[in-house]
Amino acid sequence: MPHETPQPPHQRPPRRPQDTRPRSEVPAHVPTDEEAARHATGKRTGQGHFAGNLSREELLKRIARVDQAGEYGAVRIYQGQLAVLGSKSANVGVLRHMLEQEEEHLATFDRELLKRRARPTLLTPIWHVAGFALGAGTALLGEKAAMACTTAVEETIDAHYQGQYEQLGDDDLPLKATIAKFREEELEHRDIGYANGAEDTPAFPLLSGAIKAGTKLAIWLSERV
Amino acid sequence: MEYRDLKDRIVLSTLPNIPFDGWSKKALRQGAAAEGLDRDAVERAFPGGPVEAVAHFADMANRLMEADMDDAETEGLRLHERVRLALLCRLERWSHEREAIRRGMALLSLPGNLGLSLKASYATVDSIWRAAGDTSVDFSFYTKRVELAGIYAATLLVWLDDTSDDIEITRAFLDRRLEGAMRLRKARAKVEEKIAALPNPLNLFSKRLDMAKSFRMR
Repeated sequence: MPHETPQPPHQRPPRRPQDTRPRSEVPAHVPTDEEAARHATGKRTGQGHFAGNLSREELLKRIARVDQAGEYGAVRIYQGQLAVLGSKSANVGVLRHMLEQEEEHLATFDRELLKRRARPTLLTPIWHVAGFALGAGTALLGEKAAMACTTAVEETIDAHYQGQYEQLGDDDLPLKATIAKFREEELEHRDIGYANGAEDTPAFPLLSGAIKAGTKLAIWLSERV
Repeated sequence: MEYRDLKDRIVLSTLPNIPFDGWSKKALRQGAAAEGLDRDAVERAFPGGPVEAVAHFADMANRLMEADMDDAETEGLRLHERVRLALLCRLERWSHEREAIRRGMALLSLPGNLGLSLKASYATVDSIWRAAGDTSVDFSFYTKRVELAGIYAATLLVWLDDTSDDIEITRAFLDRRLEGAMRLRKARAKVEEKIAALPNPLNLFSKRLDMAKSFRMR
């Protein structure tokens, strides 16, 4: 009689092979000239510069710094949510998708930072912990609270990218196109959040307002410190 | 930025005079005159006085070092070996200007010039790390620079008094410092490995939840 090995009642889906490359080597989106040209407005970055304002170089370094920090925080938020919901939520696929996109954004801004010889924010260790804690904390409140967190963060980031988009001029079209593309993807994340019942969270306005205020503070700090 | 070449020219033509006159306005004016520039060129280029010329000298040395590193054979070298090469590149080019560098350091170390001297030190270690091909964008960006700032400052002081052939004493000193830094890094990696082996507290938590559920089921 052939010996039958007992099968486990249900098998976990096979793990995706993990990308072990360092972040700086992950290929990221580089806009083509055509894509970039679509964002031309006939204005230069830092046009109408006044004494005491940031110079063009400083402004670009600040943009690279805050965006790198923001994407780093976003990656940590989704990692935190996946650490809690990773094995049992129906939304795992969606969360993975959003995490992958944020990782690509992060790789892009890592390269931007190096290209412009800007320093990263000093607060990276704080965002490392705070981002994960925010993601894991909201996920522990439930799947819908996790989605509420996503919508709050992504709405703030949308306004932030919109502001940067308006600051940039024709001399930085590739960066402008990149920001426009990433903004679209962040809006997609926000819509995913609403589609998955973000607004059904108990005390949604309270939670959302608190997270938005925190995100704005984080942006303000990462630009400067 | 458009003044950079002008500033480079003034500093370079002044350097031979510094051991005699120090970093003074007079010396800079003589240097500018030797370059065929008009009387006010120095004031326009360095409105903050000679200390700005010293800071610009450091900046120029960084740029030249980075250019040297671009030309150098760095293929197959490990990161700390490239740092060593960059640091030595930075020093060796100015072997004949040690007196000017010593006097510049004295000027930068005055309390009123603290801000400028910090900026210059940061620019130097930043430039060495970038020339060595460092691509860190996290907190190690800062720890690396702080670590190298200590090594660089100490090596610079040794180099200023080094009369050995082919600056052997400086090389040996730098190698010992880098070796110490490497040992520290290895020890840290070991500790991190142990920490990573600890279980994830969140997983413990969710396992306990599962256990509670299974108790309720019975």
